Amino acid sequence: MSSKKSTQTTQEIAKQASGTLYQKIVHFLFGSWESTQLTFSFLLVILMAVFPFFTKSPYWLGIVVLSAVYAYIGISWNIVSGLTGQLLIAHIIFIALGGYTTIVLLNTYSVSPWIGLLVGGVVAALAGVVIAFITLRYGLKMDYFALFTIALLVALRTLFLKWDYVGGAVGMWVRLKNPSFIKMVFNDKAPYLYIALLLLVIGIIIQYLIYRSKTGKFFIAIREDEDAAAALGVNTPWYKTLSVVIGAAMAGIGGGFYMMYVTFIDPTGVFNLGMNVEIVMAGPIIGGLGSLLGPILGALVNKPIAELVRGYLSEGTSGISLIVYGSFLVTSIMFMPRGLAGLLHNLYQKLSKPVSER
Amino acid sequence: MALLEVENITKRFGGLVAVRDLSLTVDKGEIVALIGPNGAGKTTAFNVIAGYYKADAGKVVYDGVDITRLHPHQICNLGLVRTFQVVRPFRGINVLDNVMVGAFARTNNNKVAQAKAEEVLDFLGMGEEVKRMASGLPIASRKRLEIARALATEPKAILLDETMAGLRPIETDEVIAMVRKMSQSGIAILLVEHVMKVVMSLADRVLVLHHGEKIAEGTPNEVVQDPQVIDAYLGETNVAN
Amino acid sequence: MTPEIFFQTIVNGLFTGGIYALVSIGLTMIYGVMVIVNFAHGEFLMLGIYTAFWAFTLFGMDPYLTAPLAMVLIGGLGALMQRGLVHRVLDAHPLNMIVLLVGVSTLMIGLAQFFFSAEPRSIHVSYETAVLSALGLRFSIPRLVAFVSSMFLAGSLYLFLQYTRVGKAIRAVSQSREAAQLMGINVNAMYMLTFAIGTGVTAVAGTLLAPNYRMIPTMGSAYSVIAFVIVVLGTMGNFVGAFVGGLIIGVVETFAGFYLGGDVKIIASMFIFILILLFKPSGLFGRKRT
Repeated sequence: MSSKKSTQTTQEIAKQASGTLYQKIVHFLFGSWESTQLTFSFLLVILMAVFPFFTKSPYWLGIVVLSAVYAYIGISWNIVSGLTGQLLIAHIIFIALGGYTTIVLLNTYSVSPWIGLLVGGVVAALAGVVIAFITLRYGLKMDYFALFTIALLVALRTLFLKWDYVGGAVGMWVRLKNPSFIKMVFNDKAPYLYIALLLLVIGIIIQYLIYRSKTGKFFIAIREDEDAAAALGVNTPWYKTLSVVIGAAMAGIGGGFYMMYVTFIDPTGVFNLGMNVEIVMAGPIIGGLGSLLGPILGALVNKPIAELVRGYLSEGTSGISLIVYGSFLVTSIMFMPRGLAGLLHNLYQKLSKPVSER
Repeated sequence: MALLEVENITKRFGGLVAVRDLSLTVDKGEIVALIGPNGAGKTTAFNVIAGYYKADAGKVVYDGVDITRLHPHQICNLGLVRTFQVVRPFRGINVLDNVMVGAFARTNNNKVAQAKAEEVLDFLGMGEEVKRMASGLPIASRKRLEIARALATEPKAILLDETMAGLRPIETDEVIAMVRKMSQSGIAILLVEHVMKVVMSLADRVLVLHHGEKIAEGTPNEVVQDPQVIDAYLGETNVAN
Repeated sequence: MTPEIFFQTIVNGLFTGGIYALVSIGLTMIYGVMVIVNFAHGEFLMLGIYTAFWAFTLFGMDPYLTAPLAMVLIGGLGALMQRGLVHRVLDAHPLNMIVLLVGVSTLMIGLAQFFFSAEPRSIHVSYETAVLSALGLRFSIPRLVAFVSSMFLAGSLYLFLQYTRVGKAIRAVSQSREAAQLMGINVNAMYMLTFAIGTGVTAVAGTLLAPNYRMIPTMGSAYSVIAFVIVVLGTMGNFVGAFVGGLIIGVVETFAGFYLGGDVKIIASMFIFILILLFKPSGLFGRKRT
């Protein structure tokens, strides 16, 4: 037996007052495409959370940790580029800034990364404000915006290469050897996984709340048609800036954690467009840019497959990851512009039509 | 003082004067039509009034406020909203969400916005289509959606840009009825039109533009018989239609 | 800086600029005709230089002889890419095109790393250290040959676009797709051809760089970025602008390299780029926005 799986108008809500507990639960979880995506997101989180109980292999645990981090970062990019449609190509700038802030605070000032992450988020958010301001003030759109962020990336990389305070070309290592909770250094991978999942859960919730709110609708309106949105009273400069700041802050925090996990940061490695494709873009693109589920689903498809492919083809041959990510991007755009989440959406819509209709 | 007062606006593009020294007023509940041959400057005038183009001279006063230098979203929030000649629905979301974007101009609350959106869609006869994706709508529905979104912002004045273009006669009649309902509820309406049937049946007053200048103003009947207007239209629309 | 060093720097700058000009001409042509920024442009240069590498290593072919081969081969690849991929995404949201091209770029780098290895490669020709001394300056022979070749190619391309039927057809499409179609021009074929020429010319620039160059699969991005700067500077779509811009940036960068050091000189171009994007995005030859 199935309940009517349709989205809610005010009239329909009234109709749902009755029904068995089972029907109510199914309706709560899968009643709309939004709630379905949310349900699947949390299912994937739970899947990742129980992973350590099925394997102790550090290799596989590591892949899951990275998938979780990529999923979280994917959400942060999704808010800027997916919901609001601003193609921020060099999102990795925020990750880098968050990472550097966290590590510098830890190494030089012994500040706990738990705080360092948040400071990293603030630093990244400030960078976001500056970038948004400049692009709005000077009217940089689409291609010009993308080129501008690439130029920033290159400029920042050069600056950081020469800046000894942050280690210059050599980079910085996380300076502690002994495990410590307060310093976010662990011998085992599992604690990192749970921190990553904590971030991911927060990210999922933030993304969902935004999506359902006035802010989210305005973001989407701007993506769909900026001038029409302005004609309807949407303060487009403000909302575009807001989306960049939110995405940047989240990415900054994610970057801080990511650097604590990999314990090393250097300009060439982090101000790097290839890294941007792997960490930021590949997941949401293949998962479905602009959807709720896309970033998470995409990251969980991306990273493990890339690793598997790399494992099966000869060890030590470089380029496999890039080939995988590049192919994902190309095939997604060519054949599945709405990503895997888009395919699932089509399936959902077919399944939710009453049997009498088509 | 009328709700919308346009005073001597001029707009140039390089050496070309698209709109010269145009003045008009629209009051609560009035329907004023702006007509003229192609290239007369009607849409340019619209864009200036609605804040998309900066006027080179003159000013636009709405509800006592000088809105000449304001951004489109600020103008909308004051209660003056426009539709687009080539409709611009938010294609990736459904009809209800489209209209909710407009409704959010007046509220921050989800439920309130949704209720308002549903109310407007009912008013315009689109109650059954709330969940359809905007991209899947036929042209007549998209036009209606365009109006619905604008209405949801609770405007006191609406600028309708060639709403009837591309509609079949029966659809045109429906839109005419909608516009009349809106006017009766007190909204000031300025519309740009090519379809004379619409102008004749709806407008309280008509302004004729030619080469960016106002060449006639009056009731539909007066304007239609004005020799200058007939001259301007010769070879264009059949004025007597 | 003595007058001698000054002029030497200018010469070296022009030599660098010649290569930049070729790459940028390719990029600007593609933009001019199809209104897309080829985010994978630098990778075609990379393929060009590797073509020279393999031709030399496997067949002993001199890089300069490989140039025409690279143009056809890599240009052909570009045409295929346009027809198979780019063309189908042309009318979609611009986001899709950017992501597609970034994906293609990533894929090309990955394939290059896989097949050519990520280790730096180089080829050494007998004349690579030859120098011509004249006018009190030293002209590196390979670089001189590269410069002359790029000037020749750029000039030929210019004449092609100006005076041949096909060239005019391409320019017509860049002005108006619809009008060109109405005039009976096969727009799709012109798209393919433009892409072929644009990427082919870039590949030639790669082969010209080959002698003694430290090749790695990721080398293309730096050239992409420089080309973006030059194309915007010279006004997007403007052939002469890209040419002149390339020479200008080559000289500016070489001077920056003298004063700031090799690894930081890119900052000068980035600085110029950001200034242009902010204050005159329409470039040197463009009109002010209304």
